[in-house]
Amino acid sequence: MIIMAAVARLSCVCRRGIKPLLYQSTLLPRALVASHKYQDHPYMLTARIHASQALNASSGSKAASLHWTAERAVSVLLLAMGPVAYFNPGPFIDYSLAAALTLHGHWGLGQVLTDYVHGDTKIKIANAGLFLLSTVTFAGLCYFNYNDVGICKAVALLWSK
Amino acid sequence: MALLLRTFARQGVCVSRSQYTVFYRHAAPMGTTAKEEMNKFWAKNAQLNRPMSPHITIYKWSVPMMMSITHRGTGVGLSGAISAVALAALVLPGSYPYYLDMIHSLYLGPCLIALAKFGIAFPVSFHTLNGVRHLYWDIGKGFKIPQVYKTGYTVIGLSILTSAALMFI
Repeated sequence: MIIMAAVARLSCVCRRGIKPLLYQSTLLPRALVASHKYQDHPYMLTARIHASQALNASSGSKAASLHWTAERAVSVLLLAMGPVAYFNPGPFIDYSLAAALTLHGHWGLGQVLTDYVHGDTKIKIANAGLFLLSTVTFAGLCYFNYNDVGICKAVALLWSK
Repeated sequence: MALLLRTFARQGVCVSRSQYTVFYRHAAPMGTTAKEEMNKFWAKNAQLNRPMSPHITIYKWSVPMMMSITHRGTGVGLSGAISAVALAALVLPGSYPYYLDMIHSLYLGPCLIALAKFGIAFPVSFHTLNGVRHLYWDIGKGFKIPQVYKTGYTVIGLSILTSAALMFI
């Protein structure tokens, strides 16, 4: 509240100079009075705000929101795949696991990059690198499923030692 | 949503009447998005070579903080391991059973093998169980501080138990 009053005071100064400011003794009630005096210039006290996606009536992209939901959906799917992989191993679950693991990892690492990488070019480079990594990972896992024992069998063999 | 309030004494477009304050009669959208503002912040501070204020070195660590970064750490680690396996599958000449037999022939001893199993099982179980905890938060539940700690300790306990159990299979 005090910040708002101070900023209102600043706008006062910007417009009319320092003298009127010196005549204003108290903060809050005076600022209220001050704003009413600006009837003749209604545009002067203008709050600059960020028009976020949700508030912007003309174009609304739900991309971020849908991405969030998709992330949770894949997480739940991956959770469900665990027991299925244990009780019903086979090529179907192998390829599904390859896809779900790669996607979950890709989106997860994407969030890590968003948090720690700053600067337009750096962000672009990092995301390109991540995309390459995820593509190679998915290709490698599919290759493994096709030409080798497959994910489920691999885990079973690893644990049998 | 937090509104970034800045007052400029200039002719602005009257978009809406803000109901949050008595001081401002009009709200004008800024030309930039929050993302652009953030980028500007980082660009300016990096360009001026400003050092970063101490944060993780001075703030008192808490269990939720540690669990959160562990969740991220195990996630990145597991993802890296999966990528490494996938890359190895593409690059290395032999088949998986071949390399597994190669490791078997090293005669590592039951203790080391059990430790290795725990080392693989723990990140998987912690990340999975904490992931469930995250999903619980995503449906809007369990945000009160005592609940955060309770679910947190449950995840830690269950992770250790499952990893220990998997160690012996």
